[in-house]
Amino acid sequence: MYNKTILIKDTNINAEDRTKNYYSLVLNSLREFNLHNEVQVVRAADIGVYNHGVVIKILPDVIYQEVKETDIPRIVEATVKADKVLDDLVLKKEPKQQRIVLRNCGKIDPESLEEYLAAGGYQALKKVIFEMNPEKVLEEMKKSGLRGRGGAGYPTWMKWKFTRAVPADQKFVICNADEGDPGAYMDRSVLEGDPHSVLEGLMISAYTIGASKGYFYIRAEYPLAVERVKIALAQAYDAGLLGKNILGSEFSFDIDIRLGAGAFVCGEETALIASIEGKRGTPRPRPPYPSVKGLWNKPTAINNVETLANISPIIVRGGDWFASIGTATSKGTKVFAVTGKVKNSGLVEVPMGITIREIVFDICGGTISGKALKAIQTGGPSGGVIPAEFLDTPVDYENLQKLGSIMGSGGMIVMDEDDCLVDIAKFYLGFCVEESCGKCAPCRIGGYQMLQILNRITEGKGKLEDLAQLKRISFAMQKASLCGLGQTAANPVISTTRYFDYEYKEHILEKKCRSGKCSHLANYTIIQERCKKCGMCQKNCPAGAIPGSREEGYLIKQEKCVKCGQCFEVCKFKAIKKE
Amino acid sequence: MKKITREDLDKIAAKPVSPAVNYIRVGMSTCGIAAGADEVLATLIEEAKKRNIRIDIKKCGCVGMCFAEPLVEVAVEGLPPVIYGKVNKEIAAKIMEKHVAGKILVNEYIFDLKVKE
Amino acid sequence: MVSKVVKAKINGILLRVPAGTTILEAAKNVQIKIPTLCKHPDLPPSASCGICIVRVKGSNKMLRACCTPLEEGMDIITHDPEIVEIRRTVIELILSNHPNDCLKCARNNDCELQKLTADFGIKEESFPQFLRDLPVDTSTKAVDLDPKKCILCGRCVHVCQEAQDVWALSFLERGIKTRISPAGEIQLADSPCVKCGQCSAHCPTGAFVEHDHTAKVWEALQNSEKYCVVQIAPAVRASIGEAFGYTGKNFTKKLYALLRRLGFKAVFDTSFAADVTIMEEASEFEERLLKGSRPLPLITSCCPSWVDFMEKFHPDMVENFSSCKSPHEILGVLSKTYYADKNKIDPKSIVMVSIMPCTSKKYEITRSNEMYASGNQDIDVVLSTRELARMIKQAGIDFENLPDEESDSILGEYAGAGVIFGSTGGVMEAALRTANYFITGKDLKNVDFENVRGLKGVKETEVEVGGTKIRLAIAHGLSNVEYVINKIRQAKKEGKELPYHFVEVMACPGGCVGGGGQPYMVTDELRSLRAQALYQDDKDKEIRFSHQNPYVKRLYEEFLGKPLSEKAHHLLHTTYKPRPTYRK
Repeated sequence: MYNKTILIKDTNINAEDRTKNYYSLVLNSLREFNLHNEVQVVRAADIGVYNHGVVIKILPDVIYQEVKETDIPRIVEATVKADKVLDDLVLKKEPKQQRIVLRNCGKIDPESLEEYLAAGGYQALKKVIFEMNPEKVLEEMKKSGLRGRGGAGYPTWMKWKFTRAVPADQKFVICNADEGDPGAYMDRSVLEGDPHSVLEGLMISAYTIGASKGYFYIRAEYPLAVERVKIALAQAYDAGLLGKNILGSEFSFDIDIRLGAGAFVCGEETALIASIEGKRGTPRPRPPYPSVKGLWNKPTAINNVETLANISPIIVRGGDWFASIGTATSKGTKVFAVTGKVKNSGLVEVPMGITIREIVFDICGGTISGKALKAIQTGGPSGGVIPAEFLDTPVDYENLQKLGSIMGSGGMIVMDEDDCLVDIAKFYLGFCVEESCGKCAPCRIGGYQMLQILNRITEGKGKLEDLAQLKRISFAMQKASLCGLGQTAANPVISTTRYFDYEYKEHILEKKCRSGKCSHLANYTIIQERCKKCGMCQKNCPAGAIPGSREEGYLIKQEKCVKCGQCFEVCKFKAIKKE
Repeated sequence: MKKITREDLDKIAAKPVSPAVNYIRVGMSTCGIAAGADEVLATLIEEAKKRNIRIDIKKCGCVGMCFAEPLVEVAVEGLPPVIYGKVNKEIAAKIMEKHVAGKILVNEYIFDLKVKE
Repeated sequence: MVSKVVKAKINGILLRVPAGTTILEAAKNVQIKIPTLCKHPDLPPSASCGICIVRVKGSNKMLRACCTPLEEGMDIITHDPEIVEIRRTVIELILSNHPNDCLKCARNNDCELQKLTADFGIKEESFPQFLRDLPVDTSTKAVDLDPKKCILCGRCVHVCQEAQDVWALSFLERGIKTRISPAGEIQLADSPCVKCGQCSAHCPTGAFVEHDHTAKVWEALQNSEKYCVVQIAPAVRASIGEAFGYTGKNFTKKLYALLRRLGFKAVFDTSFAADVTIMEEASEFEERLLKGSRPLPLITSCCPSWVDFMEKFHPDMVENFSSCKSPHEILGVLSKTYYADKNKIDPKSIVMVSIMPCTSKKYEITRSNEMYASGNQDIDVVLSTRELARMIKQAGIDFENLPDEESDSILGEYAGAGVIFGSTGGVMEAALRTANYFITGKDLKNVDFENVRGLKGVKETEVEVGGTKIRLAIAHGLSNVEYVINKIRQAKKEGKELPYHFVEVMACPGGCVGGGGQPYMVTDELRSLRAQALYQDDKDKEIRFSHQNPYVKRLYEEFLGKPLSEKAHHLLHTTYKPRPTYRK
């Protein structure tokens, strides 16, 4: 029987993989020490450490990095045999991730109430009802410093306090699960992996503000999340955790599910409320805020999924504990969905204050291509880009804002030198133009006009005046739009022009896209050495820009080329150069 | 399920949580299913039946390593719990054969997640 | 609860306003007009255009003045270079999505977008223009919709949905493709639209415009073979002055003069026909009340939008409707029979033009075969007050300085009861004056029924007629209809006593003075002023009872016999049938 396990992985990316080699060496060494029958050696696919040479992990928690072949015998002798740690080799870095929101995801069956209870579920609800009162809950929430995780970062305790203070015969709480940012799926994962935790948070918010009815507003594009929440609700009702006299107390609470219908704008509070009311999902002017006049004109507290998942740990472990994590202004952890040109895309939950570099490189392994990182994008269509020079910025609400971006809901897109920042701005703006509800002129028409300008720039038809025009419309949209969608739709443009002004100018003045992304600006030439003179390019050219013949060969006439990219697509011999 | 009372919750809180042994968890969130986790789950169940192995095979949520889905966590008495990633039908069968039955970890597929407790 | 007073600053000027006052309203107190576009004084703010933004001093945040209440201690800046620049940008953006058709548009010189653009001194088109490829909808022949000109302010949708409860219009699609239209790609004529024209009365641009019939009228007037006659509705006299800067002034006698100058051979007054309507309707009421020949309550039917609404949404009420036609139709049929006979004019040559505060009557005149009771189309053309105002300007007539003239006999003289038809409660009041006489044989000493006047949405009151208590309900604005109808239905269902004996409904808020064809920028204040002019006209009249109008008496003696006679039925009455709300 094996009583120890060793994992081995060469963590250097884009270099020759020495894992198998070291594997044999370790096995030999174990044999020499006669430990080969007690110790299991395994080649791992990933040890969560990157670019630290060959890493040897002796489970459960000793990690050696930059191991040389000569280190192996002493590792076996000291650590494997005698449990002594070799300080010169050990990886001193603490694990970066800290799981609060995702505490149960991957550990319990989301369709089992028993497993949730066994993992400590509904203890917070019990404490809140029987050992605390709404004022005490508010106090704890205030101590915790939890800020809304949907993107606005509004202090949760304050929102609950205001809603609680309004006298009314009925109040509502809503869980906003309309997660619409492209690339963000944290809320989906929490609902699919641990729905009861969100339920419990919603119940505690209802208890605190005095609401008798709650809603889950889930986008219809998340059928599995809807399914799992439905199951969780049914289980909770069955077990007396919802409905009348919860846990035998005076507190009664009902929850219903409402589905979105494909509108990003319905993630905005007042548009969400309009949608639940059966009306067209467009925002309303504020004031009055939903805390005062929300759903059906009653006081309503709307919270994001991730915010709600934080509630029960805060209640059980205390607001002070939560406030001990993070920075002075941004407490607790944040779940990021790291995607794009990154090696290990996925969800990471990290304490606020961790640097972007740590997230992208230490946890997620750096760029997938190995090419230089150009920028990262945070905050979805309302956010901005952060160039590589700011990678060491500690992540929190204020720092990201200073850099011209926002925390947003937690999307983090990694971009390398093959990404064009003008194209990125165009993508996000195009998203907002598509999703605009159309109610107010600044967003509806301003966004469209800006998109036309960006289209022209990426097609090589830009003018220098376009930059001033973009600025002018951005400002008007920011100030005069009715809701957050319009107010922030121009952020990606503002941010990319701030840091990557030279790319815009290259597109406009030199008709050049240095990343090669904008196909209309690419220069297409034939690499004659590779050309097999098959004539496919000429056949497919819509502009007749490739004269030549099978005997003499072919040439692309730049003056006639319309940059459609067809020749590039059809050449089987990779003989067309696109730059 | 009968109605839960305050006392029930008190009892659960008082009872020390004994870590489960002998389980397999398959990540069955949208990311996992999109990568083929439902097939993996079905294979594991089938293989367990074939080899007459009694082990709890359950689904779980997304643990965050979406790049490595389908993910399968295997805990077997005598071995540390490990997470396998990029699992397909063949690997699933191998896991059942080598790891669960044979108590030998499978090479090249372990993904070790580092989280602060 | 004591109403709080809020102290705040606007542009550095200290002011005090009641709590809840919007910044827009409060600014008026310090003589500041914050520019607006989508806000209409008659409607709640839609907050869509973004023109009214103001700044909170010292902050970067901007608020919409039209819907944000002024709060204690606020320090608001309404104009600074940045704010003005943003407003200009927004206007230019709106213009980039709007046709440059001002010179050929019905709203030229009377358009809110045009005025705003001029006020801002916009001289450039900074943004490339792009228009929506959407067709014009003239299907109702009463109100035309040109979506290209729509700036999506949402006023028409609010009015059609909330104020009129018709729900023929809504917002379709989203983003740059957003448009206002009936649901499901259908035209207005196939939708629940009742042609009330409230959309056109509130539209800031040329998107919703009354279907223009002035060309037809000019043509008829030039045609020497035609005998053009005209009638003016009660409400028109009290509102036409607004096109020339007068509010609440009664221009009856100048209108008569004007219409003659335009070339009409005879100038009549719908108020006369209103008197005839009362003869018929009061007789109907007497019959139903005393003989039970048909069910009570009796519901007025002189408003064609209300008739359309009833036929579509409340067809079970058909039996309760007065079978009487609307006054202008009555005058139309009389002009081509009674008047034509008496004056030996070939009815086929008569072109009868109605000047109405209404768009709905443009639809009414071909509503059914009964609108051809004279043997020809009883009314040939309907013009709205707005169209008449345009005609006056085209004709180059100095309207306000015309001499006073009289109308033409025998269809032009009216009693006070006839002219108050234009105000909500007016029909009821006129009917009561005559019904009392029919039922008791005696005339009332006090003919002013204050209880049925005023702008309350539903007025419920009681009067005593010959010892019987008569319960009345007056509703105006179609959203107020449901309450009344439900009460009647509920009583019927439960077999209880009827809540009302007599019900008057006007589709437009305020009654006809607030009609869909009336001058723009209507508010409750204007509605009251216009109604006041009519009540004054009534007060000034020697004869205030319809049944005492000697020309009405003569009409019955010489031509109709008596009210509800067979001839009266054939010429002056109509029928109703259920209609679908949506047609394929």
